[in-house]
Order: sequence, then C-alpha cells, then structure tokens
Amino acid sequence: MKISLNWLRDFVDIPAGTDPVKLGELFTLRTAEVEHVENQADMFDKMVIGRIEKISAHPDADKLKVTITDVGKEKLQIVCGGPNIKEGMLVLVALVGAKVKWHGQGDPVVLEKAKIRGVESFGMICAGEEIGLDPTPEGIADLSHLKAATGTPLAAALNKNDVIFDIDNKAITHRPDLWGHYGIAREIAAITGKKLKPLKPKVSFPATAGAKSAAATALSVEVKDKKLCPRYIGVLMENIKIEPSPDWIQKRLLATGHRPINCVVDATNYVMTELGQPLHAFDADKIEGGIIVRTAKDKEEIHTLDDQKRKLTKEMLVIADHKKSVAIAGVMGGANSEVEQKTTRIILEAANFNPSSVRKTATALGLRTEAVQRFEKSLDPNLAETAMDRLCEIILQICPSAKIATPKIDVADFDEKSQKITLNLDRVRGKIGTDIPTKEIVRILVSLEFKAKESTDKKIEVQIPTFRQAKDVSIEDDLTEEIARLYGYENIKPTLPLLPAKVPLENNERKLKHLAREILSKGLGFHEVYNYSFYSLKDIQKCLLPEELHIKVENPLSLDQTHMRLSLIPNMLKNTALNQKNFSQFSIYEIGRTYEDLQEYFPIEEKKICAMIVRGKNTGGNEEDVFSRAKGALENLLSFFATQGLSMRRGESLAPYAHPGKYASYHLKKDDTFIARVFELHPMVAKNYELEDAKIAAFEINFTALATLGRRERKYSPIPKFPGIEFDVSVLINKTVTIEQMLREIESADKKLVHSVHLFDLYEGKNVPEDKKSCAFKIMLQASDRTLESDEMKCVQQEVFTRLQKLGGEIRGLRA
Amino acid sequence: MEKQPPMQDQLTQIEKRALQDINEARDLKSLQEAEVKHLGRKSALTALMSKLKDLSPDEKKKIGPLSNQIKTSITNKFEEKRAQLETIEIEAKLKTEFFDITIPGSAREIGRVHPLAQLQHEVENIFHGMGFTVADGPEIESEYYNFEGLNIPADHPARDMQDTFFVDAKHEAKHGRLVLRTQTSPVQIRTMEKYGAPLRIIVPGRVFRNEATDASHETTFHQVEGLLIDTHISLANLKGIMTEFLTELFKKEVSVRFRPGYFPFVEPGVELDFSCLICTGKGCSVCKRTGWVEFMGAGMVHPNVLKAGGIDSQKYRGWAFGFGLERLAMMRYGIDDIRLFHSGDLRFIKQF
Repeated sequence: MKISLNWLRDFVDIPAGTDPVKLGELFTLRTAEVEHVENQADMFDKMVIGRIEKISAHPDADKLKVTITDVGKEKLQIVCGGPNIKEGMLVLVALVGAKVKWHGQGDPVVLEKAKIRGVESFGMICAGEEIGLDPTPEGIADLSHLKAATGTPLAAALNKNDVIFDIDNKAITHRPDLWGHYGIAREIAAITGKKLKPLKPKVSFPATAGAKSAAATALSVEVKDKKLCPRYIGVLMENIKIEPSPDWIQKRLLATGHRPINCVVDATNYVMTELGQPLHAFDADKIEGGIIVRTAKDKEEIHTLDDQKRKLTKEMLVIADHKKSVAIAGVMGGANSEVEQKTTRIILEAANFNPSSVRKTATALGLRTEAVQRFEKSLDPNLAETAMDRLCEIILQICPSAKIATPKIDVADFDEKSQKITLNLDRVRGKIGTDIPTKEIVRILVSLEFKAKESTDKKIEVQIPTFRQAKDVSIEDDLTEEIARLYGYENIKPTLPLLPAKVPLENNERKLKHLAREILSKGLGFHEVYNYSFYSLKDIQKCLLPEELHIKVENPLSLDQTHMRLSLIPNMLKNTALNQKNFSQFSIYEIGRTYEDLQEYFPIEEKKICAMIVRGKNTGGNEEDVFSRAKGALENLLSFFATQGLSMRRGESLAPYAHPGKYASYHLKKDDTFIARVFELHPMVAKNYELEDAKIAAFEINFTALATLGRRERKYSPIPKFPGIEFDVSVLINKTVTIEQMLREIESADKKLVHSVHLFDLYEGKNVPEDKKSCAFKIMLQASDRTLESDEMKCVQQEVFTRLQKLGGEIRGLRA
Repeated sequence: MEKQPPMQDQLTQIEKRALQDINEARDLKSLQEAEVKHLGRKSALTALMSKLKDLSPDEKKKIGPLSNQIKTSITNKFEEKRAQLETIEIEAKLKTEFFDITIPGSAREIGRVHPLAQLQHEVENIFHGMGFTVADGPEIESEYYNFEGLNIPADHPARDMQDTFFVDAKHEAKHGRLVLRTQTSPVQIRTMEKYGAPLRIIVPGRVFRNEATDASHETTFHQVEGLLIDTHISLANLKGIMTEFLTELFKKEVSVRFRPGYFPFVEPGVELDFSCLICTGKGCSVCKRTGWVEFMGAGMVHPNVLKAGGIDSQKYRGWAFGFGLERLAMMRYGIDDIRLFHSGDLRFIKQF
C-alpha cells in the first residue's frame, strides 16, 4: 500500500528535517515493513526547466538536432532527436548525473557527458516516459504551460515534493486500521511521541424532523441480511456537477496509485485512502425505489464497472434497488448505476459487510479490488459513519454547488462496543522476557488509544478502541505484542532459557538417513540429487507406471507437475538425460518420499532411496556390468543395517520400469516385507527417455521399512591364529547353472573348513562354447585350531571338483 | 706336487687379493663378481677352508680361527663397499631421473551429499546439542493441520499469504481438503498432540507453494521449524537461542534483531533478521544496505494453537520459528538461483 508523507502530515506533526528513509526504518521496526521509500525529489534530481534558445542541424545525422538550451546558470549545447522541439519551448533537461531511462525502458542509467555522432552533448532533453512521468508520444515533453524560470528544479516546477512509503500488504493483514493514512498517522504519532490530530469532519445533515419529512423519505434503505451487512449508511446529495477533481486531490490519488476519474468517484477513493473505509456512489436517478441490501438470486447477473458480466450465486450479497442489483456488496459497483458526466444526484454508501462473505464472493468471482482488500480484514462498523461525514465534507468542498438532501440513513445492527481485557503484568513481562515498568506499559497502550490506568496491582484493565478489536486485539497476547513492539524489540536482550540438560529423543530414521548418505556418497561414490515431488502424465506413461495409483495435484502450476510421485525413477531418468550431456558416466541417488492413495483420508507417504548407475556408450570400451555394480552397491549399503534376515528373490515385486529378467528383489524372510530391488532399466523405458545407448542399472530401497530394522550391531570375532590355505578352481559350465548354485556346492564341500569363496572371473564369449560360461573361484580354507595340512586341502579340493562336475561342470586345468 | 706356501701365507694372500679387488670394484656388478671370486664356492678361500679338516689339531687351532677371521673381514669389507656403491648408484640415479609431478593424481571419485542435506544435517546437530529433538510429519497434509489448527480459519485473508497446492478432491469433516503443506508448522500441532508439554523440537522438511518460479522463488523448498514450549519461555530466549544457533552455524559472532511480523499462529509475531555477514552490519548489496539479512518468521505460540495441540495455555507458553534452508544455503555458498537445488545437475552438485 502506498502512503504519502504529505498526506500523513495532515494528521501528525512530522518535522521538516525528518529523513524519510529513517522514518520508514522506524516504522519497519515498530509496526510493519516499509518495502520502499520513494522520494519524488530524488527521482528528479539534477533535472531542471530549460528553454531551447537555438536549434541547428546536426552535421552528421538527419534526425538529430543541436540545440543551445538555457538551463538558468548557463547555456548548454544539447543534442536532441525529438521531432517536436521548437525555439523558445520550455523543456525538461536532465543534466549530467541525472538518472534517466533510455526510451522509457529498462533500469535508469546515470547520464554522462557524451559525443553523439561527433557532437558534444551536455545533457538530455527528455520525453515524459524517460524520467518516469506520463508518456509524451509526440516526442519531447513541452512544459511551456508551466511558465517556470529556467533552472528551476523540476521537482519544484512540477510540485513533486512528496515521499511515498510502500508498505508490505502482508504485514498489515491483521490490521484493518492501517489500510488508510489516518491509521498510519496514528501509529507514527505513537512511535514518535507526537499527538494525533483528531479527524472531525465539519458537515451538517438535514434534521430528521419527523420520520416522514421529505428529507427523510427521499432515500430508503432496507437491509435484508443483517449478518452479512451489519451497517449500511446512505446519504442522498443533489446539485452535483461532475467535473474533474482539483489538483490537490488528483495529486494525492496519483501518488498513492489511483487513477483520477471525476470529482465524486475521486472523493470516494480519497476518503477510502485516507480512512481505510471503502465507499461507493450511485447515480441516484438510476436507482429505482430505494436501496435494498440482499443476497443475490441464483444465477442473477450483473454488469460490473470493469465492463464484465458476472454471474452471481445466492450466497453473494448485493446492493439492489427495487428492480435490479446495482452493486456486488463490498466488491464492485454495477455499470447500471454508475456516476456519469450527466449525473446530478448521487447516493453515497458507507457500509460494513461481513468480511468472510466479501472474501468468498471476491474469490468466487476472481475479483480482488481495494474494497475487498479492506472489507475482508474486518473493518470497524463505527468507521463507516466517520467516513460518510468525511466524504460529504470533501464533496461539498470540491463541488460547491452540491447539497446534502437527506440525513444519514443508518441501518445498523452491530455490537461493536469497546471491549476490555485484563492484563496480567507479570505474565506479559515474562513472555517478553524484559522487566518493562508498569508506567511504560500504560504509556505505550495509551499512545495507541487503548485506555489503561497505572496501578500497583499485578493486573490492569485495558479498554480496546473499536478500530482495533475486530479480529485484531482480543486477548492478552495481542496486547503483549503492542507493548513489546512499541517498547522496541531491540531493547529485548537475548537470554538463554533455563532448561533441563536432558539428552533429546533421537530421531532414528533421520539418523539412518544421514548414515545412508555417508555410505552412498563417500563410500560408494554416488552423488545425491534432489527432485520435485511431482511429475507429469507423460512421465507416468514413459515409465509404464499405473496412472490410477497416483495422487493428482488439483491446481498444478504447469503440466510438468500434475501428479505426485509414486516412484523416484521418472525424475531421476530426467536427471540422467540432462547429465549425459556433460558426463559419460556417473552414479546418482535421491532420498525422498513417494505418495500413494490407499483410499484412507491421508495417503501413504514412504521414504525411498533410489540410485542409478549410468555408463554411456563411449566409456573407453570398458564394458562394465552395471547390474552387478548396482547389486554390489545395494548389498554393501544394506550390510550396514540389520538385514541378516533378508533373502534375494527373482521375479517378485516387479516394477514396470525394470527389465523383467535383469531384476532381483530383497525381502525379509520372516514376513516377506519388500525392502529393495535392483535391476537394469526396461529397454522400452530407456527408449522413451532416449537413453537406449547408455547402460543403466538402478536400485530402489523402501527406506521406511529398512530404517525400522535399525543399524547392524557389530560383534567382534577373533582374528584367526593359524594361517589358512587358498586354492583356485576354474570351471566351464552351462550358462543356466547359477553362481549361487555353484557357491552352495563349494561351501558344502566342507562346511567346517571352507571359510570364504570368491568369484574372481566370469567369462562368456570367444573360446567358450556358446551355451557355456567359464567361472573361476578363489577358495579359502581355514581352521581355528591348527595350521591345515596340504592333504586336507587336497581332500576338500577333490570334493569341490566332484560337486562342480555333478552340476555338469568341466574343471579346467585338471589332468585326466 | 708343487710345494704349497704355508696356509698362513696363503690366507694373507687371499685377503690381500680380495681387498685389492674390492678396492678396484667400480660398480655393484664388478663387486658381485669379485665376491663370487673370493667368497664363492670355487674360491681359493673355500678351497682352503675345506682342507682344514686334514690339518693336525695344532694347526687347526691356529689356522681355523685365522681363516674364519679373514673370511669375516673380507665379507665385511664387501658389505662396506656394497653399501658405498649402492649409495653412489642411488644418488647418481636420483640426479639423472626426471619425474613429472604435474601428472594429475588418480583416485576413485567420492560422491557428494546434496548441499541442502549437508546444511540440514548441520542445523540438526546444532539444535540437537541444545536439546531439540528432530520431528517429522507428512508432506501431504490436511487443511486442518496446515491452516485451521494454526489459527488460520477458512476465508481468513492470511490464507493469501501462502499459495497452496491442493491434491485429489478428498474431503473430511474436521480435516477439510488435502494440501501439499505450505509450511512445516503443521508438525507443531501433531507433535503437541503426541508428546504434550514441555516440548523442544525442530522440524526440517519439504514444503510447497503454488507460485510462479524464478531465481528466488520455487514451488518446492525446505523449511526448518522450531518449537520450544515450557512454563517460562520468553521472546528474549528466542533471541538467545537464535544467536547461539547462527553463531555456531557461521562460526562467527552473529547478532539478531526482531521486527514486527504477522503470522496468525504466533502472537506476538516477529520477523527475525541477522547481522549481515558480508559487511558486518555496515551495509552492502547483499543486505540491501540495511546491515541486516531477513531470515525467518517467529513469535510466541498463539494460545489457539496450544489449545489445538491440547496444551494448557495458562500453564505453558513457548515460541516457534520457521526459516528456509535454501536461503541459508544460497547465502553460505553464494548461489544466485534457487532452482539449481532441484535441477539434478551434477555440474552443480559436484561443487559441494
């Protein structure tokens, strides 16, 4: 909201030497954030009125002219391209050092002395848009009408001597009283210790001599829904002459971001901006039979002032006459009752509407106006009357022919008497954490127009002014805030609370998550990525995922973010496609949640880990088995958790994006709980992401389930005292015999002595029959109580050979 | 048979010749040859010593120790000379060898933890050290927990402060619709319901806003919520704890200030700024020349919120805060575009 310093000065004494920036900062520290302070004089710094004395052609450019311009102290040579310049014309001259916008666009730049096509130029003769004024499409702004002396600073010549504070609207959401200059002035008075000048409009209304007097019956107001309209004041004015409003009104309206329209409309906007009470004026001759405040008929239509046809619903409150609706209450007026050039009689409205009704209506219609902004904050019904008085006063002032024809027709049904709060002073001090004296507390409250008296009691009574009690100040905590902020938050000294030194409860899952990160990143070389929690329908299709299991975003921001993720895979495939442009091989992972609708109210959220190993086509011919890498990484990670009871399975808990053959899942033996899967990417999915040239393997972990298992406990087992013996065995065997089968046989060869078996070579291809593979194992024998004899080794070796031969293997290097 | 000189003389000769050869050896190879010649199986010394057994006991007594002594002496000389030659050889090699130390080192790549995860971990550790438990809650939240419970009724203008994503049209009497939580504050109520008072928690988590994105706005970002409830908690304590936290996080003296701020779930409500780390309060472009950096919203928990959480507001009070992790990370690392965090771009991730 824009607030004018000059306007504030109508109500509070702000000394002439006050630095507006400092004042803005103080307001930020005490009341609400001032986002920007715009000093009009600064905007026009180093700009003066000049007179073009002489114009001559530019030697090198047809469209440019060289002028000699009188800027008061001196005469400057200025090159100018404006088509409309004439000798003797008063123009605005930006001197070297002024800030101008080239062609009215972009950020302002500091003007320097320049050579333009070889001719020196000592300033710039400006168009309006180049210095932030109204655009002058004809070229240069002609200021001849100002009759100002050359050299007059532009700000003075244009009467631009105001400072505009831009206050953050969000910071005053709870302060309906701050939506106008008077309320802001009241705060400044309290902050700076000055007195607020009372606002007592001097205006008199015809007496209601008898209910049936002409004056009283000239306007009728009927409120049908008093809950939605606690107060409606109507006044009829006659002898109106519609004219532009005077400069001082227009100037203030423009400074605070309003477009002047005519004296009546401007007066309503002026008083709203001054007091925060939205007001409306109807053309009385277009109102048939008086004002009725009622809810709309279903599907009733109204043509609003912004030239839109709006369809209403029956919850919406309208202002109507006896035939038609003429305004959407608290939102916008109707075109059918608009004040126009020929209007002579007007009905003025100052009302109080139910905030949530106004808000609902505005939201449903998608129509946010300044009136809505104010009504939805809960205005004080008492304000309506003050505003009506002020509105009449202003209209009489700017339209002297006008005459008030009726008394205030005030239909009111509200109880907005001032409420009281008992303040427990010790508790207030305790909450703030500072020992503020009672005297100071009372001083602060009184400065804000609360009523309070100093007392030696531990409790005092505080009466709340009506303009603060609607949804703003209603409990002790609200007053605590008033006291704390005006006491000055900077005066509160930081202290540490006295609390028991108890070890806080540990969040185990979170701790294990950080452990998983350490292992994945630092141990296994994966990089962690973060992705959005949503993806698109296209992603669902590309990953062959079931659309129906997804939770949809009702109001997505873009088509890329329409479904909550059911899997981390789709977004990680996007990461893969992106990173392939810069890296031929990489490994990434994400830890994040997936969301699944299980028909309960709250969806199921599970924490997942998803990791992906990507090897591009050109990684130096080093054909790596990405599946085994992924499997190795997964098992390595799992080994840090209590996963002893885990079994690997084939063909269970398949995922649609996984290669059905190159796939394994891990389940808890005790109850089949799915823990993880490792797989290569389904070729179709790879194709859909144009990743068919890369080798991609991934694993996914249900981290929520894994974390419940906890960390693997470590127990020491003694280091062998006697050396073991190692031997290798190399076998040529059918491809379909699995490594697991062979390992089981080797381990069974001597369950006591076989200490470890390690597959160190696996080969298929050249020199090996097509249906065979060649495997080589390193087998370590170990006894805890003795050094093994070579005979014992030979015995085990023979048993291993026999068992592998039984599986159809041919032991290599074995002499017949 | 030729008359042999006495054995004693032979030994002297052997020693003399051996010493001469050792002396003349110029490199390890010729020394090795000399060693074979003088101490090897076919050497005169070996031959002579093999004859010892044929000597008379008297002579044995004399020649035996002598020959051993001479063998030891020769052996030692060889070792001495070898050590000498080895040193010379290594030094010569060191002098002539060229090694290019600028060849890049080779190592297996270490993966990087996402900068937000790193920062979050640090934040958790600092608060854990001050007795705060890390709590958690759902990201798809009910309107009740996200709004009503936090003193933001339907049709309250404060709902405009946070643009909200709604998901699938589910409706429940108490809970209303489902939203993507716009803040981590719903976990305040959930934790109060679960644990009651006193309470000391932080809640780092993902939140969502339905806002157009640009370099400083994202639909998805991370907040850290804090909540401290006890019988005697004050705003001054909030200043104290946050000063501790920031000083620990940035490893330098940081001060904080309050400004009034409006959040319906706190009263009084404040905005907390901290002293600019770049200019230490003098004013620079980072802090927009104010000397202060906007950091978070906070305040004393509103009695309505305590009530929603089932806590007696006559007995207990406390404060809550919420700050953005991205903002903090951007400040710490000089990142100028918030969208990088969720880009999955390894050119970004690998820098941390």
